[in-house]
Amino acid sequence: MNSLEQVMRKPLPVPDADTQAYWEGLRQGKLLLQHCLACGHVQFYQQAICRHCGSERLEHRAASGRGRVHSFSVVHRAPSPAFKGDTPYAVLLVELEEGPRMISSLIDGDPMKVTFDMPVVLVCEPVSEAISLPRFRPAEREQVK
Amino acid sequence: MREDGQILRGKVAVIGAGISEVGKVPGKSPLALAAQAASRALDDAGIAKTAVDGVLASTSFASPFHRFSVAFSEYFGIQPTFSNTLQVSGATAATLFHVGAAAIQAGLAQTVLLVGADSLLTGLTPDLALRSMSESRDQQYEMPFGIPVANTFAMTANRHMHEYGTTAEQLAQVAVTFREHARRTPGAQMRDPITVEDVLASPWVTTPYRKLDCSLISDGGAAFVLTSAERARALGIEQPIYLLGAGECYTHEHIFLMPSLTTTGATRSSALAYAMAGYGPRDMDVAGIYDCFTGTVVMMVEDLGFCAKGEGGPFVAEGNLTYGGAIPSNTHGGLLSFAHPGMPGALFHFHEVVSQLRGRCGERQVPGAKLGLVHTLGAGFATNATTVLGTEETL
Ligand SMILES: [Zn+2]
Repeated sequence: MNSLEQVMRKPLPVPDADTQAYWEGLRQGKLLLQHCLACGHVQFYQQAICRHCGSERLEHRAASGRGRVHSFSVVHRAPSPAFKGDTPYAVLLVELEEGPRMISSLIDGDPMKVTFDMPVVLVCEPVSEAISLPRFRPAEREQVK
Repeated sequence: MREDGQILRGKVAVIGAGISEVGKVPGKSPLALAAQAASRALDDAGIAKTAVDGVLASTSFASPFHRFSVAFSEYFGIQPTFSNTLQVSGATAATLFHVGAAAIQAGLAQTVLLVGADSLLTGLTPDLALRSMSESRDQQYEMPFGIPVANTFAMTANRHMHEYGTTAEQLAQVAVTFREHARRTPGAQMRDPITVEDVLASPWVTTPYRKLDCSLISDGGAAFVLTSAERARALGIEQPIYLLGAGECYTHEHIFLMPSLTTTGATRSSALAYAMAGYGPRDMDVAGIYDCFTGTVVMMVEDLGFCAKGEGGPFVAEGNLTYGGAIPSNTHGGLLSFAHPGMPGALFHFHEVVSQLRGRCGERQVPGAKLGLVHTLGAGFATNATTVLGTEETL
């Protein structure tokens, strides 16, 4: 595949040694967070050690899928041709109920109506056989278009 | 944990500074721009290239050479015995000074040439231009959601507006002030005056940023010559500018692990630099503040201690970044109006602050400037590096 084709397609995550379980979880509709059995720290993203205490005793547990918008930015000029058709779209910095934050984007909602601390709910969106992306929709139905 | 930094304070001096042609410079490779800036810096110092035994460079996106400092040395016709190519995004500029000074003080080199150049405006092959669009953020956790480089900074500014009531008009004033400065800077890429209304009428890029809230894309480079304070005196250098303080802070890689979206690692990097220098923010006569976006500057004037947290908006809107204000900043026009060739962009802030401290800024001169601060940062505030510079009498 040449680089022109590459850039016309949306970037597809390539799981690595640390993240196999994470992407497999999303494929099954679950957002896995790592819980440290030594200190109780809950972390996103997936890695081999606890960022707080260094323990390797980490357990995957599915998140509730509920969170709030900590910050956001509505993209009007796409970073690459692949995203041009989607503008304007809202990139979200979601704070999950369990504590960790993650980057995502709004699905099934009006990007112009995103507000701070707005409640959102996880939607696992299949984009290929192996990959589903963790996206978020407004929790309040009236905010759905 | 480091000591008070007295090992480094005042021990190393900038003895030469030079910048290449900047703005739109077709037909010159990053290495050619680097060589042009380096020749000018050596001429300014009045020393020959054979006196250079150390070379530090920032990476260059448009250049095919990953070891840019090594490729540069071959191109320039020197064989240094100390060299490295540094990459901590926009903060690289200050780290070149810090690493160069440390190397001199540790005896690894006597005369270090710092160099950075890139040609992001005219020098990207179609292949590189495509890569630049698709490789800027983490491929698993950020890129799949269509995040432009501007987006991480935009989310910090958005949150700042939410928490502190910072307004779009206040952000716009930063762009207007630096454009006003660039009008007096020969060679600045953008010299037409703009108003707050112009900024607010420019097209959206990613909220809250519009086109005129965003920095430029440019070609260009800069170079500096460092040596020990002792050797600067022995060489009879006129107006050496001393490195008084250095501090850095790296708080995260991914934007979602930034500890706070509105208080950055600049608080710590600047506190370390002030502590080493023995001076505080109120002592600074002039500053170079990394201005990739307007809101970045609003947050930095708070974290660098020029005003209290949350007061950055009113602070910049009340004229504190220009002549007669609390801290005249980016008097050359900054990344917003002078030039922004990527990694070397903040080297122009260093060039301007050094020129101010030498009293060589002509109609842009801040009268009697003796102490200056440069703060450089990058990657959604992941990287922060602060340098305090001063004249002989501040030692
Ligand atoms: Zn732990």
